Amino acid sequence: MEIPADAGTRPVGPGTLAGVGTPPGLQTDCEALLSRFQELDSVRFEDFAELWRSMKFATIFCGKMRNLKKNMFTKEALALAWRYFLPPYTFQIRVGALYLLYGLYNTQLCQPKQKIRVALKDWDEVIKFQQDLVNAQHFDAAFVFRKLRLDRAFHFTAMPKLLSCRMKKKIQQTEVTQKFKDPNDRVMKLITSDVLEEMLNVHDHYQNMKRAISADKSMPDKALSLVKEDFFDNIKNIVLEHQQWHKDRKNPSLKPKLKDGEEDSKGTSQEPERCERAVSLAKIKARAFSAVAQVSKSRRHRQAKLDSSDSDSGSGQGQGKAAKKKRTRETAAEPTERKRASRSRGNAQNEQKEEKSLHLSMPIIAEEEEETYDFIEAEFTATKRKRKR
Amino acid sequence: MAEDPLGGGAGCPQHPVPSASHGSFPEYELPELHTRAFHVGAFGELWRGRLGLRDLSLSEPRAAEQPADGGASDNGLDDAAVAGDLGCSLEAAAELRVVCGLDKLRCLDEGEDPEVIPENTDLVTLCVRKGLLDYREENITIDRACRQETFVYEMESHALGKKPENPEDMIGEGELILSVNILYPVIFNKHREHKPYQTMLVLGSQKLTELRDSICCVSDLQIGGEFSSTPDQAPEHISKDLYKSAFFYFEGTFYNDKRYPECRDLSRTIIEWSESHDRGYGKFQTARMEDFTFNDLNIKLGFPYLYCHQGDCEHVVVITDIRLVHHDDCLDRTLYPLLTKKHWLWTRKCFVCKMYTARWVTNNDTFAPEDPCFFCDVCFRMLHYDSEGNKLGEFLAYPYVDPGTFN
Repeated sequence: MEIPADAGTRPVGPGTLAGVGTPPGLQTDCEALLSRFQELDSVRFEDFAELWRSMKFATIFCGKMRNLKKNMFTKEALALAWRYFLPPYTFQIRVGALYLLYGLYNTQLCQPKQKIRVALKDWDEVIKFQQDLVNAQHFDAAFVFRKLRLDRAFHFTAMPKLLSCRMKKKIQQTEVTQKFKDPNDRVMKLITSDVLEEMLNVHDHYQNMKRAISADKSMPDKALSLVKEDFFDNIKNIVLEHQQWHKDRKNPSLKPKLKDGEEDSKGTSQEPERCERAVSLAKIKARAFSAVAQVSKSRRHRQAKLDSSDSDSGSGQGQGKAAKKKRTRETAAEPTERKRASRSRGNAQNEQKEEKSLHLSMPIIAEEEEETYDFIEAEFTATKRKRKR
Repeated sequence: MAEDPLGGGAGCPQHPVPSASHGSFPEYELPELHTRAFHVGAFGELWRGRLGLRDLSLSEPRAAEQPADGGASDNGLDDAAVAGDLGCSLEAAAELRVVCGLDKLRCLDEGEDPEVIPENTDLVTLCVRKGLLDYREENITIDRACRQETFVYEMESHALGKKPENPEDMIGEGELILSVNILYPVIFNKHREHKPYQTMLVLGSQKLTELRDSICCVSDLQIGGEFSSTPDQAPEHISKDLYKSAFFYFEGTFYNDKRYPECRDLSRTIIEWSESHDRGYGKFQTARMEDFTFNDLNIKLGFPYLYCHQGDCEHVVVITDIRLVHHDDCLDRTLYPLLTKKHWLWTRKCFVCKMYTARWVTNNDTFAPEDPCFFCDVCFRMLHYDSEGNKLGEFLAYPYVDPGTFN
């Protein structure tokens, strides 16, 4: 696995506490573990533990971290894993996240152990999940959760993280990893390509019947024209439109890009945004059409699957997957930045927020001499350097 | 639907305090920044209603109580409990204990040092950390924690797990702990982006006055007046004893400290100012600080509020977190409000010995090279007075309290 570019090259200030936020690489590691677990298509703890051991995941806490850093790292790791434990992730990922929490909590080196923060608003969801586990007789997962709870591994809090009005240079956006996500679009659930195909068939059949009973066999009788001829095309277009809208809303500019990255690695990254949208729309259309046209009735169940996991069309292909994922990452990196820029430009509300926090900041008073020692958490070097005095 | 396995009755999300349930469910007003206002006590009630006794328990973990050799019968009991909670058979419970055991997660062999990063690792986090370690090895002569890091860690953890000597001082189960950040009033240019602050943990059942009394600020210790002729009399009048008024401001209400007859209502001017021209701040309320506990408040997490004392010494106050007390927390009620983070301030040293923190500042000093000039007590007296304590030369001397006094 490759190391992110800034790992070795940029001396991120050795021993700095790296401030707030997820430590570099941790998310990659967790997602690697979870996606391998996903590939196993299992929710058994045995399988997870096997993966955990083969990746030597507990060694994530290794390597000369001093107490303070150790605490911060562990807190971040638990918070990160917790995110995958909540919706919108799929059932399997959530179980994986539960095991991951179990593993991280119990193998951490902190003394006393760092706790997992649970916000009040998430708790009902968690209890529902626990109930689902028991009802579905996934006793190993339920057992693990029960054990964590009995070990008092949780801090029952108001909000997921500490809040403070301080001025922020950038607000960290937590992206939902699409691959692990549970598709929850009700329209798409209702009108699957299955249904569309059925509709097309019925419609064709209906037209044929009409032709059969008409005087002119090539044209149905005018008197029988009770439905709109093109209703099928219309409904298909509407569904596609909705699909696209749904994606755009979820992920303003990232999503079309991602699609591009998946479908076509040559990358039209230089193309302007609007053009891209058109292209990807066309692609979706083309694919939907071809799928509907090609797939025979007998293979309908296969097709439904293919369509519902639309956003990760590559995931079925095991082999090329790793490469594909990397590509997606690369293409995703750039638009994220652009998105940030465009958002701060375009979104008036956000700007207001930014300004508001500026107003909250303190007046700047002319400094006296050497006044207070600046003890900035994010910047102080934890290690003694050669003093230059 | 089966009952909640841990007896919390949380399976069905019914709000135990229906009337307050809407106003006490914390949710974001500005994402990632602050929540809407909610009632602290009712929020605690919501949590307690969702959790079972075992979640709230502050007693020692069972494993510590029972001797190790009772293992077999223990397991039997545990299995029965698991089977009861999950509704599975005893055999299944026993199997679960083995399958989900913690030993299944062990990655290091006996003898392997957790400080050393294993060679053939695929974990990106470890590769990054290894890079940093190598860099440190090349560039740093002595690799150890600096004073500040040790200081921060000790501040954070010094009280963890403390138990009271007197059982009556034990914190009750289900008590709330609030983290309060109190910013320093004077903000220098270099603190434009990182405001120095101290963090206190207070209990929901504590009064606002208890927090007020535990806030250390140098302006409470200032000594007014010039004392060059009578340096021995100086330390008798500190501002804290002279000016006892103070207020907290939370969600439209000024909580004034009225414990002493000489306390004044510092908020009156603000309220009058606000009402005189209808400035759009709505109607402010006033209340007595000593009558309110944190459980009684309506607050927004992350939102800037105010603590004002000594007339105009203003500290922004931010409540960053509220959670239920945990067994590993400091359980001695008398140690709260508990200071867990403090900004390390650079102290001004005596101009003569350059060693001790300054206690005096002089103006128009015939002996001093600078104006103003700072001295520690010993050097000040040695330089400015003869052996009988008579004043030598011309100068004005004021007691000086360094902001770093509380380091």
